[in-house]
Amino acid sequence: MTEVSVQSGARLSRRGVERLDLLLLTIEALDLNGGEAMLWTSHQMGLQAQFPNRVELWKRRCHNPLRRTTRREQLNPVDAESLICLVCAMAERLYPMLHQLLSSREPEQLTQERWMLLKERLGDLIEERMNLRRGAVMNLLDHDSEGPLHRQLINTLALCAGPGGIDRLRATLLDPTP
Amino acid sequence: MQKNTYRYEQTAALLLVEGYPDLSAGHGNEAIGILSAWRLQLIGTPELEGTRDHLESLMSAVMPYARHQLSGVGLRFGADGGFVSIGPMDSGSGHQLELRSSREGVEPLQIKLDDADLADLVRCLDRLRLDERVKLTWTIPTDQALKRHELVDRIPLQRRLAAPVLGGFALAATVAVALLQPLPPIGEESAKPLTPGLETAQPDAER
Repeated sequence: MTEVSVQSGARLSRRGVERLDLLLLTIEALDLNGGEAMLWTSHQMGLQAQFPNRVELWKRRCHNPLRRTTRREQLNPVDAESLICLVCAMAERLYPMLHQLLSSREPEQLTQERWMLLKERLGDLIEERMNLRRGAVMNLLDHDSEGPLHRQLINTLALCAGPGGIDRLRATLLDPTP
Repeated sequence: MQKNTYRYEQTAALLLVEGYPDLSAGHGNEAIGILSAWRLQLIGTPELEGTRDHLESLMSAVMPYARHQLSGVGLRFGADGGFVSIGPMDSGSGHQLELRSSREGVEPLQIKLDDADLADLVRCLDRLRLDERVKLTWTIPTDQALKRHELVDRIPLQRRLAAPVLGGFALAATVAVALLQPLPPIGEESAKPLTPGLETAQPDAER
């Protein structure tokens, strides 16, 4: 895995931080050992300074205002850039799974079971980590809207996988709130 | 001169590029500075091939399309008279890649891609443009945050209009209630004393 240079970064809006953390949560839903894998991957990428341990990684993710335990100050641009690189590297590792979920050539029954498993795991993680009194969190758990949301999350991970996806993901997270 | 061939493979997509180092630009033997041919194989579709212009056209249509897909904006990309255009399917999910031949009398080729095929194609193109051995410059727009008006289209019209319509109704209701309130006549108001005691009160100097 190539090392990344995270000299500067972009200051993400509140919506951007929410989306970034949701992508990391989706990665954890795809990979049961996602937390450890993220830390290992970040070390492989030379991001020990940003994320020396799981607690530091968790603290950065707590800038998401939708979390149960949230930090009020803004996410540092360098940390935001590190998290973006981490998402792209993890998406590259999980790309075969993302491909299976998105491909129309896979057996339909099997694909549906994979989606159900993902929805269940992501729902559990959201209930465990997010503040359920927030309307936005309840919308994430809303069974009517979760179908397109899950597909959009997986599609985002597939299109930003690898080093080529870093600029795309950063640009997306910087989108203004319409 | 040594001919170099590099392949970029990702599950359902395989991109092969062939070319020569541009010795006048000081390229090493491993580099491709002059692209002679390329071939793209997508599972379930005919093999595509062409010149550098075709590949550049493919890249300049697919990459911004992928960027907009990430923001949930489904616009069609690719110039009308260009070789390649891509957009969302008119009905159902998926993406439609349209390739127009430079030869006359050849019908445009339409290829349906699902989300996984699009991701494979984007990854192949990403690898090509980031490959340090390929010394070609691609004219693709840099990835930037979209403008607010570009994102507005992804919100349903009902949701977009809900706030201004509600605001308009609230304003109209307030104005209607204000107009229904009877106002005291102006002459009567000036003749009427403010307080009963004030009518008999005299200034100290006149007492």
